[in-house]
Amino acid sequence: MIELKQVTKKFDDQTILDAISTRIPKGTAFGLIGSNGAGKSTILRLISGVYQTDGGEVLLDGKPIYDIPDQKRRVFFVSDETTQFHSFTIKKLADYYKHFYPRFSYELLETMLKSITLPQHKPLSTFSKGMKRQAITMLGVAARPEYLLLDEAFDGLDPSMRKLIRQILIDRMVEDEMTVIVSTHNLAEINELCDSAALIHDSKIVFSCALDDIRSNLHKLQLGWSTKAPEYSREQFEALGIEILRFEKQHSIYHLVARGEEDQLREKLAPMNPTIFDLIPLTLEEIFIYELEVLGYGCYKFDTEA
Amino acid sequence: MYDIDLQSRIPIYEQLYRRIVELAVNGVLPEGTQLPSVRQLAKDLSVNPNTVSKAYQNLERDGVIYSLAGRGSFIGKIEKADVHTDLLKEFDLAVQNVLRVGVSEDKLCDRIHKIAQDSKSGGKENDS
Repeated sequence: MIELKQVTKKFDDQTILDAISTRIPKGTAFGLIGSNGAGKSTILRLISGVYQTDGGEVLLDGKPIYDIPDQKRRVFFVSDETTQFHSFTIKKLADYYKHFYPRFSYELLETMLKSITLPQHKPLSTFSKGMKRQAITMLGVAARPEYLLLDEAFDGLDPSMRKLIRQILIDRMVEDEMTVIVSTHNLAEINELCDSAALIHDSKIVFSCALDDIRSNLHKLQLGWSTKAPEYSREQFEALGIEILRFEKQHSIYHLVARGEEDQLREKLAPMNPTIFDLIPLTLEEIFIYELEVLGYGCYKFDTEA
Repeated sequence: MYDIDLQSRIPIYEQLYRRIVELAVNGVLPEGTQLPSVRQLAKDLSVNPNTVSKAYQNLERDGVIYSLAGRGSFIGKIEKADVHTDLLKEFDLAVQNVLRVGVSEDKLCDRIHKIAQDSKSGGKENDS
């Protein structure tokens, strides 16, 4: 398990992470989501033992990681920056990683290179952006770390390649109990791969939990009343004990984004006896937008789906 | 058989849950059928093993499947399962909607009788 305890990271005077805490249990696929510059990559670099904290601790199974080779070799970090590998070929990089990662498997690399064809004897500088990502990701998987960290994991990959990478990652989770930690802007990717996630905003963690818990606890409601319905205000709904993140009335339909589980919301709204009662699960993207909106980020005009 | 829609608003574990319940209820997976292991299904569907595991846990909690140590998971006796509660809940909602738009109670009852008759005469090979 990876634990971040009250971790603070500063660059010069700027606080990138402000006393954040979270846990990433072994065997999960954990997503780091957040707005641009929120500090996602910084978290990955702290976990990989590249950065030292300015406060708090980053622990891997209870022990620090920073600058401790035996801890660092349990983790593989696929950075979104690949320029340092430019003069190497895949073959040379494999030999290099084999030294540091004792479980490195050439067979696994061979198997992957059968489905993802990349030139093995040409330097990475001749590769496209997507090919570089694929190469380093594959080397990371072949290193068979306990924790694979992927920064902007699916950037620059086409849809079929993203699917293939997802399959490879899931395969390693099943066979090796590998833990995957990915940062991405692409919430669909998180949705397809991850079981838990943390939302980072403004140097802090907004939430960090199982995705299904997040999803089952936030809903979009569409309510309507037949004939002569009175005007309901946001406060009247709140008086029923419902936390509302968004409230909008269009024509005679109320659109609410409310916190709470399906059964609770149904129960609380039952006394109002709505004629139309639609309860729609939110997508991760919507959750992301609404949660950040509550914190004052973004300037989205509520565009109710027709 | 376990088709899932990764883009759906319905969580993947819930889709798997519903699919297996559906297959068990309509007899495609009769009682005692062994389900693929969590690992196998995760790989087959390219779905996070923890998600598959959650679906199986919920199915077991609700009595749809049972597991034997070291042997795997099997479809249980559906009659006893809490599945009924869920199905009836859906039924209730549908009834409320139909009543609301003005369909009479009698008409609804007749309809239920007719559906019951039809499924009896049409589904003999399943029942006997």
